[in-house]
Amino acid sequence: MTIRSLSSTVFWIALVLFVAWDWSQSPPIDVRQEPPLFAAGSGQAASGGHCSLAR
Amino acid sequence: MALVAFFVLLVWFVAVRQAVLFAVGIGMGAALAGARLGFTTGWRQLVEDRDPRGTVGQLLLLGLAATLSMPLLASYPELQAALGPPSVSLVLGAFVFGLAMQISDGCGSGTLYKAGLGVPLNMGILPLFALGSFLGSAHLDRWLALGEVAPVSIVQSWGAGYALAGTWIALIAIGIGVRLWVGWGRQWIARRWVWGALALAVLAALNLAIAGQPWGVVYGFGLWAAKLAQATGSFDAAGNAFWSQAGNAQRLSQSLLLDVTSITNIGILGGALWIAARRREASARPLTAQQWLIGLVAGFVLGYSSRLAFGCNIGAMLSGISTGSLHGWMWMPMAFAGTLIGVRVRRRFGF
Repeated sequence: MTIRSLSSTVFWIALVLFVAWDWSQSPPIDVRQEPPLFAAGSGQAASGGHCSLAR
Repeated sequence: MALVAFFVLLVWFVAVRQAVLFAVGIGMGAALAGARLGFTTGWRQLVEDRDPRGTVGQLLLLGLAATLSMPLLASYPELQAALGPPSVSLVLGAFVFGLAMQISDGCGSGTLYKAGLGVPLNMGILPLFALGSFLGSAHLDRWLALGEVAPVSIVQSWGAGYALAGTWIALIAIGIGVRLWVGWGRQWIARRWVWGALALAVLAALNLAIAGQPWGVVYGFGLWAAKLAQATGSFDAAGNAFWSQAGNAQRLSQSLLLDVTSITNIGILGGALWIAARRREASARPLTAQQWLIGLVAGFVLGYSSRLAFGCNIGAMLSGISTGSLHGWMWMPMAFAGTLIGVRVRRRFGF
């Protein structure tokens, strides 16, 4: 295994562990409240976070 | 196989919308990595080699994305543009971002797809980018106190038709400026940039239609680091101007798999990994200890400055300009000015 592939493996393991840790300590997701597939035409204003947000 | 499994998990345990956004992210990562669409490299080649292909490809991408996005915004009022406030922090942040991205050899999307491809420096930069993005957002209120005006939407001010025409005219004017700079006898555009620009424009418009907001990168990084800082007890979100806002506080408390930017970021990494598995990358020259140190510091600065600038090359430049935000048009020249310094710093340290 090259250094590059080893470091790539470590990177992906760290990312998977981070997502798993976040999932384990977050409240359960109510899938019955899931948003419509397309925001366009749904009538529901977007509420996600974006880099352009000042506040 | 792992990407398909994660898609199914998202459908089953999170939301179909998040799963589809993950797939859109995979497409973005595959397009970026497959065509090696480097915003940083394109600008550097224009400055150093008078090679216009990357920059013209970016102008094409901006025009195509605006052509798809502006009518969507005009037709569906629930969709949001990437509206950042013109401010002192934007001017400073974009300049510093443009400088640092030349040193670290990657902007927001570039860092992501190169990390997904397994480039060691970009994998090392990613956590520091996230830390910088988090600290930038945590300090944002103090930077905004230096001066800001309300965000300006060209689509709302002019209407979608005039906004789109004005965008294309401005992009063509920049193209003419590029033409004057590089002189005659140059190849104008590379084929990979044409199909890459087309793919990214379609995927960016899909992101807008599905998520209700434009493509972004940096917010997700800041959220990840904020979650870690809060978990370690080193950060009190309730006492911070940015992270105590209702929407940000909610995203901090819920799974990152519900965050739009986080899910497309993971998709981009996955898309680049998929490309990496299909082609053998030539080994890059190993970096010296000094180059590693400078590259990692630049990565931290990238994250911090991108929050001050209300986005990176994706959230501010691509999404800002294609959805008619004045801040995107301010971001581009300031970041390019920073790049003029950055390419010299990059050369100085032998990257």
